[in-house]
Amino acid sequence: MAGAFVHLHVHSSFSFMDGASSLDELIARTKRCGMPTLALTDHQGLYGAIRFYQKAIAAGIKPIIGAEVVVETCGIAEPECDLPPARRLLLPYLSGFGRASAAGFHLTLLVKDIRGYRNLCRLLSAAHLCAVTEDGEGPARSVVTLHDLMRLSEGLIGLSGCERGEVAAAVAAGQPWRAREAAKRLAGCFSPGDFYIEAVHDLTTGSPRLIAGLADLAEVLGLPLVATNDVHYVEREQHRIHDVLASVGAREALPGPLLRPNAELSFKGATEMRRLFANHPGACDATLEIAERCNLDLGLGAFHFPGMEVPRGETPYSMLAKLAWRGLEERYRPVIPEAMRRLQYELGVIEELGFSEYFLTVREIVSFAKGRGIRCSGRGSAGDSIVTYLLGITDADPVAHDLLFERFLNPARRQMPDIDVDFDSARRDEVIDFIYKRFGAEHVAMIATVNTMTAKSAVRTAAKALGHAPDVVNSLSRHLPWVAARKIREVLATYPECEHHPLREPGHELLLDITEQLDHTPMHLGTHLGGFLITREPVDTWAPLQWAAKGTVVAQYDKDDVEALGLVKMDILGLRIHSAISQTVEMARARVGAEAVPEPFELPHDDPAVYAAIAAADTVGMFQLESSGQRNLNTRLRASHFEDIIAAISLFRPGPLEAEMIVPFIRRRHGMEPVVVPHPGMGAVLRDTYGVIVYQEQVLQVAKAVAGFTLAEADSLRRAMTKGRSRAQMEKLHAGFVERACGLGSSREVAEEVFRQLQGFAAYGFNKAHAACFAVVSYASGWLKVYYPAEFAAAIVNNEPMGFYSPRLVLDDARHHGIAILPPHVNASDSDCTVERDGRAIRVGLKGVLNMNARFLARIVAERAGRPFEDLADLLRRTRGEVDAVASLIRIGALDGLGTTEVGHPPTRDEMLAVLPELKAVLAREGVAGDRTLALAPARARARDATGHVSGWSPARRLGAELELMGLAITCHPLELCAADLDAKRVIMAKDLPRLPDRTRVTVVGVRERAQTPPTKSGKRTCFLTLEDATGLLDVVVFSDALLRAGETIVRHRCYQVEGILQNNPERGVAIVAEKVSPYVVRADRGEAVRLRRGVGLGPMGPQRPGAGAPEEESWEDVGVWVSADL
Amino acid sequence: MTSSAARVPPPHKEVLGHMGRNAAIKRFDAHPDGQPITLFETVSGRRPAIAELLGTPWIRRASELPSDAGAGKRAETDVVVEWDGDSGRPLAFVRGGRTYRVEAVVQQWAVERGWWDRSRHVSRRCFRVFAGGGTFDLAYDRLGGTWLLTGIAD
Repeated sequence: MAGAFVHLHVHSSFSFMDGASSLDELIARTKRCGMPTLALTDHQGLYGAIRFYQKAIAAGIKPIIGAEVVVETCGIAEPECDLPPARRLLLPYLSGFGRASAAGFHLTLLVKDIRGYRNLCRLLSAAHLCAVTEDGEGPARSVVTLHDLMRLSEGLIGLSGCERGEVAAAVAAGQPWRAREAAKRLAGCFSPGDFYIEAVHDLTTGSPRLIAGLADLAEVLGLPLVATNDVHYVEREQHRIHDVLASVGAREALPGPLLRPNAELSFKGATEMRRLFANHPGACDATLEIAERCNLDLGLGAFHFPGMEVPRGETPYSMLAKLAWRGLEERYRPVIPEAMRRLQYELGVIEELGFSEYFLTVREIVSFAKGRGIRCSGRGSAGDSIVTYLLGITDADPVAHDLLFERFLNPARRQMPDIDVDFDSARRDEVIDFIYKRFGAEHVAMIATVNTMTAKSAVRTAAKALGHAPDVVNSLSRHLPWVAARKIREVLATYPECEHHPLREPGHELLLDITEQLDHTPMHLGTHLGGFLITREPVDTWAPLQWAAKGTVVAQYDKDDVEALGLVKMDILGLRIHSAISQTVEMARARVGAEAVPEPFELPHDDPAVYAAIAAADTVGMFQLESSGQRNLNTRLRASHFEDIIAAISLFRPGPLEAEMIVPFIRRRHGMEPVVVPHPGMGAVLRDTYGVIVYQEQVLQVAKAVAGFTLAEADSLRRAMTKGRSRAQMEKLHAGFVERACGLGSSREVAEEVFRQLQGFAAYGFNKAHAACFAVVSYASGWLKVYYPAEFAAAIVNNEPMGFYSPRLVLDDARHHGIAILPPHVNASDSDCTVERDGRAIRVGLKGVLNMNARFLARIVAERAGRPFEDLADLLRRTRGEVDAVASLIRIGALDGLGTTEVGHPPTRDEMLAVLPELKAVLAREGVAGDRTLALAPARARARDATGHVSGWSPARRLGAELELMGLAITCHPLELCAADLDAKRVIMAKDLPRLPDRTRVTVVGVRERAQTPPTKSGKRTCFLTLEDATGLLDVVVFSDALLRAGETIVRHRCYQVEGILQNNPERGVAIVAEKVSPYVVRADRGEAVRLRRGVGLGPMGPQRPGAGAPEEESWEDVGVWVSADL
Repeated sequence: MTSSAARVPPPHKEVLGHMGRNAAIKRFDAHPDGQPITLFETVSGRRPAIAELLGTPWIRRASELPSDAGAGKRAETDVVVEWDGDSGRPLAFVRGGRTYRVEAVVQQWAVERGWWDRSRHVSRRCFRVFAGGGTFDLAYDRLGGTWLLTGIAD
């Protein structure tokens, strides 16, 4: 085909920190150039291969999958370093990124068929996985050995590589003998005719000579020559992004390690490529010949389940059916006909679709977890199935809650079901170990994620490339919101918190240009939080593997790739609320007896006390019900039964919020407006939600009731409505629906109105099964909070980070419930928080104290078990604690009251801190620290504050230390210190707000807990502030106009004085609409400011440099005093 | 010493096409007694061989030596170039009032460096051409949109 050409050496942005063009750009260019085929050869992997394969086929282009790998040196017998310096070849810079990178010569591999694909996966896996030393550490080499290449080259075509291949590098260096040897050895690894000498004309002065040398070599060896352009970007202008990525990937400033002489590695058209290779037309013809020979069919659409062993005479379906029927007897007492009918129907569909093995696989994992007492629960649309319920995978009864199987598994669409299961975070590793043992390590791998650039990371990348110093890079990227990089200019121009951002200063035009172009560029491979790929065949025949952090093996594919390949993906997610619930139950049973505390997941959902707490928004720590918006909704909804919890969880979601479903729901629920539906069939279906379509399942039911759709047809309709269809397609759906509705007796107007409502809500509705599964956990957490509040709060803090609030607020909330918060103490505290005084007090654990380490903690607990510590010297002697850690313990009050001074009373914290270095030195020198009485020279320590407290510190100093060292307020709430000032300013406290009338002008002061700017229907930015004062939580809404004035204050400060209008009505709940937000500095009696930020660890960014490493300024900076550091 | 056997007809394209690279040079068979003095019957007859020699990768040109010492004049002067968009090559240029017809493009390359620093940014497409009996380096400066004569070499 004269005049044609196919690019066979192409890098996309999945050549991390190297390739500059997206797959879409490459495919679009291929189409524009009229090329029938395109190859993708990213560095060291197939990261983008599956989506490339799909996109190319969809675009009518034949995809060739391949990779550019690093191969071991083969042109010389001895190591490179043994050669005389003049004969050594410069080893190319690292190829690939992260753990998959390697330094060495390049080789381009192309897949001919499915055998070649599997071999390439195995070849890459072998290279990446063998690269780690036996102890699991050491730098990854990720180099393909000739032995592996020879073993696994069937179905592969090899090209000798770009100028960084050994053959080309040797020719360029004037070492034809080495080039010849390398080419011969590489060619010997492939089947005859499957190895080509690759020539790149990159328009440098040396290109013609290099190509001539390669052509001569090819002629001598009888190998074909093939032309490529080592494409790294589609358009010439994108070379800048390639340079930037390569530089930053190598941790260098521009020009980076590659030192590209020009910008000629673009996607050139066939004419231009043939012009460049005018002397070697056969090299261009060879591209077409190779393209003809590569015909990979991945067989997408088929499913591949991991092997399930079943007893002789059984099939996976028969096993599944037996287990499900057994589950029916256990779950339904008495068994009801509806459940039997559902089960029979679902089993039939599962059998027909061939998914029995998948259900058995999930059930086996869940059974293992439950057998070991590992708390777990299924979530998502899997809750729509009675089979998952009966197998113990989910806990919400699909019959009772009217959940529809078709939403989970649509018989009309053969699509791999997806069952997500949450496991107790603390014990998730046990489940993972089981999976590896059960299926075999060679059949399991973690699934990858691809991390892409946002505005912040793109700014950092651009700034690093342009050679800015690290502190400048930090300042340029600080305070940027999480938005797309392409929006950086818009954000800087319009976001109030960016008003004084350094990027707005002149001189950053180029940086901003680069930032915009880096939008959504893949940065590196990540590991999915809990996604596992399980295969019947060895997993490395399906996907290339590589090492991830923590020594786990990760596939180079993400969940969509795995789904496209039809492989089984299991999400083994960790859910900390499960850990907290388990710990609460354990602590409660230890206190009141095992029989007294029932299993919270098996409780009947009918306790009025639980619903009262939810309706009163007393939900801090409750799963899914605790956020500020959710608390607001709880007060308006006034839940009284389990369905209300499901509704609350479903309504406070981006979709329902955006569709403004909450207001009609609340108004109709409380009789403030009538329930009106256009069709009587809708009335029955939407009875529980007052005529509002809240759940996706209801869309199916309405379509069935009004137009006579089967549920499978209705689910297809819902999916069609959800995904942006063309106008023509929507019209077709519309016409079909109306026609069928009219056929059942509806008037055209009614049918039109029903369709309009379905269309309006289909995209916003929430999956009821998902909400129901979560509601089970919510209720369990709520019940524990009501009946075991101390244990529950302690468990929440112990399992942080989790939930919506900080540990400080969780403990403050416990204090509001009359639970005393006791400071950590070496003779009383464990590592975690514990419960004392028969459930009326929480003793703060030592784990969270700054500078503590596991070894020291273990020593404290072990030594204390023998006898309590007597004084500081005793502690040092018996634990050998580090000075920093012991100083933290002293400052937090963990040694208060221990020992006596020569004047006969316990030493103050200052006295202990003063003597600590000397004591430590004596101990280190002599192994003992004198007698047991701690003798101090009083003059060295600061005088005790005017307080009767044993620590000798004022409440402000104690609180400052607590906030800095633990992030907790144990002594008191910070705002209690300035109660007089708040009174003088007539500040309203949180507990008093519900009693004030609607539209009262109020002033409140609170410490920021959360600030959120969710998307709104209008597109305007609205900030929802959750503040806390000494009496409770304050919800503040800052609309866009006020936000313009207050944005910077909100970002830069932690405590605010808010003036605004109180909103207090049943329709909207209690909140303050802010008019003015100003910083508030918390000061103690003597006028000293209290820092509210937690300190950061020791080191160059440690607490000895106040504010270092902090992403925002603090109110305390206004006065320049750091109370807690004032020793 | 002349030899009628050594005389060769001017190379024709179709003849050269069968002889692969350096066909114009390969036309001259190796002769143990050396080549005849009058190798070329006409001026135009020698041009293909010269262009081939200049373009051939196995000859190292003095202008490519490091530091370019004495290899040829380096210049940075504006020139007017007649450009053929179809073939993607210069056809002629004017220097000192004289028009030089490009007889062969000996080599071409591109330069792109220092784009992040305006003072160091260079973006050029360069052509080494054989014209008027000399070898000239022409460069199209993408930043200024102008043609430059950057060298008179070899």
